[in-house]
Amino acid sequence: MSPAPPRRPATHRQAPGLARRRENLPGYLFLSPWLLGLAVITAIPMLLSLYLSFTNYDVLTPLSEAEWVGWDNYRRMFTDDPSYWHSVRVTVTFALVAVPLKLAAALGVALLLNKVFRGVGLFRGLFYLPSLLGGSVALAIVWVSMFNRDGAFNSLLSIVGIEGAPWVNDPKWALETLMLLAIWQFGAPMIIFLAGLKQVPTELYEAASVDGAGAWRQFVHITLPMLSPVIFFNLVLETINGFQGFTSAFVISNGEGGPVDSTLMYTLNLYINGFVRLDMGYASAMAWVFLLAIGLITVVLFRTGRFWVHYSDSEGR
Amino acid sequence: MLRTQLRRRRLLAAALTVPLLMGAAACGGDDDSGDGQVELSIFWWGAENRAQLTEKALDLYHQKHPDVTFKKTWQANQGYFDKLATLTAGGNPPDIFQIDDNYIAEYATRNVTLDLTPYQQSGKVDTSKFPEGLWKYGVVDGKLAGLSFGENTQGLVYNKTLLAKHKLPEPTIGMSWDDLISWAANVSKVTKVPGTQDPSATYQAFWVWIRQQGKDLYNGKELGFTEQDVTAWFDLWKKAREQGATPTPDVIHEGNVTDISKQLVVTGKAATSWVWANQMPELKKNTEDELGVVSYPGDPSAQWARASMYFSVFRGSKHKEAAVDVVNFLANDPEAGKILGTDRGLPSNLDIRKEVAATTTDPAMKASIAVEDQLVPKFGPAPAVPLPGHSKVKTELVKAAEEVQYGRQTPAAAAAAYVAAAKAAIGQG
Repeated sequence: MSPAPPRRPATHRQAPGLARRRENLPGYLFLSPWLLGLAVITAIPMLLSLYLSFTNYDVLTPLSEAEWVGWDNYRRMFTDDPSYWHSVRVTVTFALVAVPLKLAAALGVALLLNKVFRGVGLFRGLFYLPSLLGGSVALAIVWVSMFNRDGAFNSLLSIVGIEGAPWVNDPKWALETLMLLAIWQFGAPMIIFLAGLKQVPTELYEAASVDGAGAWRQFVHITLPMLSPVIFFNLVLETINGFQGFTSAFVISNGEGGPVDSTLMYTLNLYINGFVRLDMGYASAMAWVFLLAIGLITVVLFRTGRFWVHYSDSEGR
Repeated sequence: MLRTQLRRRRLLAAALTVPLLMGAAACGGDDDSGDGQVELSIFWWGAENRAQLTEKALDLYHQKHPDVTFKKTWQANQGYFDKLATLTAGGNPPDIFQIDDNYIAEYATRNVTLDLTPYQQSGKVDTSKFPEGLWKYGVVDGKLAGLSFGENTQGLVYNKTLLAKHKLPEPTIGMSWDDLISWAANVSKVTKVPGTQDPSATYQAFWVWIRQQGKDLYNGKELGFTEQDVTAWFDLWKKAREQGATPTPDVIHEGNVTDISKQLVVTGKAATSWVWANQMPELKKNTEDELGVVSYPGDPSAQWARASMYFSVFRGSKHKEAAVDVVNFLANDPEAGKILGTDRGLPSNLDIRKEVAATTTDPAMKASIAVEDQLVPKFGPAPAVPLPGHSKVKTELVKAAEEVQYGRQTPAAAAAAYVAAAKAAIGQG
């Protein structure tokens, strides 16, 4: 997607180590506020949470008095907590449905907006707008009022004579309503797709149409392969995002994951265990398993990417 | 050349040190120095109105004790306990904080709260004008963990205007559960507004009902009820739903939140809601209609004088004596009592309560005082303060009750799952 970094001149590479270190020093110094922030705000708390995950830390008791419980929290998670597995199911369902649909919507709209017509800039802006508002609490509240029994969506349905469900308040539909909210915010991947589409050389299409390929064949054999690095990039990012969905589930269910746990996303369950039930040791263990799971999924995506992602500048790997 | 390099270095050093220093400065502060000046931090939840009243009462204290100043923080109920827990974890909880019976045991058993018993014995905390059951509702494991601010009891709030419009009778104190359900079914039929919110997910309604069966929510460190009890409770309301006494499950779910403005009696989606009597004025603010309040159905002696909330003092506070004195002042000073009114419930101090009742002009407040006055002689003994894990016992009841309401589980199956989850929540083997 981004251009490959320019090769360093060979002379630089052969410079003695000392000189290079001296050369790097100011760089590290300039980085140091950030490095310090990384250590204090991210790394230390992360390591601490790893430690906490092996204790029964309950927030209110001082940390020094938390007891070491070994693998107990992890054991409980896997063998003795039905709500844990329930939240895993909810989250996986959410990601499996919402992520592909969101990417499809983003790509579809990007293809439309890639054409040149009057006002295209305005439309690009309009379609991007929802993802600016996306994470906001206000939007989730609007969603609730649109998708309850007397909401705007059901009023629309009633015009065509359909009696809608109470969507957000119906355990059968609440998660789907959340998915719709996520899919609707396809603006960010759409912009990236647009940028990718602009980079596909037009000669390829010209050559293909000379050879008599129709729009569909051009899409399958030129657009998709040329776009595959961008698709891959969006897929990885959106998958990670999808698994971490929290705000909308929290707001729509009043922080409880209801009705009857139908919107109990993994992160929401984690939050409830940590901050409502004050079971911070257990919540930390959940967070670490989550991190490992997302890491694993990302690795798998990268592995499969080898088979379908084409880098045009990969110098014939 | 060398010069510019040096200057650049210095600039770099400065650029690096400034954020560091600012960070250090942010860490410092908050220790109050000498001259007898004491700054107490105080934290509560509530609405704008409560904030104004509380600030006024604290200003009064400051006038009388100029050496004591306050750092006041308040916020809405949602998120309050997250914040309090985080502050506590950071070793920096407020000197004085508001708490309720959902969490007081959690904090008391972990020694976050100061035991007020010695202060009570030495008279620095005066509970002599409190009803005995009320201050005792702040005792956890033999320690006085919080001072009750406001007496409160379960209240069934109904829409007076709606009933009057259709010439329907109002619910009464002591009517049976079956009577209430058939009354509600009739209301639904006549007014087309569902007669009552289905309270099967409402823990305080279940609590009253289970006490009327001669049991309790907790018995020592264990659950005080069985699977059969919960099944019977769910069955009672299943029948009510079948008779059309309640709204549809999705509307019941909307009303199953603690948020006052979403209670069905004020959103117009049901004629009655199951709340607390002291919430009357706050409910009234959310509706044009006149509201009335009675006790929950059945024998009212199953209800008790509950502390709607407490003020507790942090055990590690640097100014325990001063903090205790402030809490005592807010509870017992006649002037402060008059300022605070019934915002947190009926004043705990009976002398102050009498005075406030005589002078209040707010009709909603009058109604909640009236129903408590009627009920006080009928109150039974208060149960012990709920166990640690109570908040999960509550949310699990919501889940189980909704499983039944949405028709996804039978009452018996949901009851079995609930009892298992509730036992796990309080750590009962």
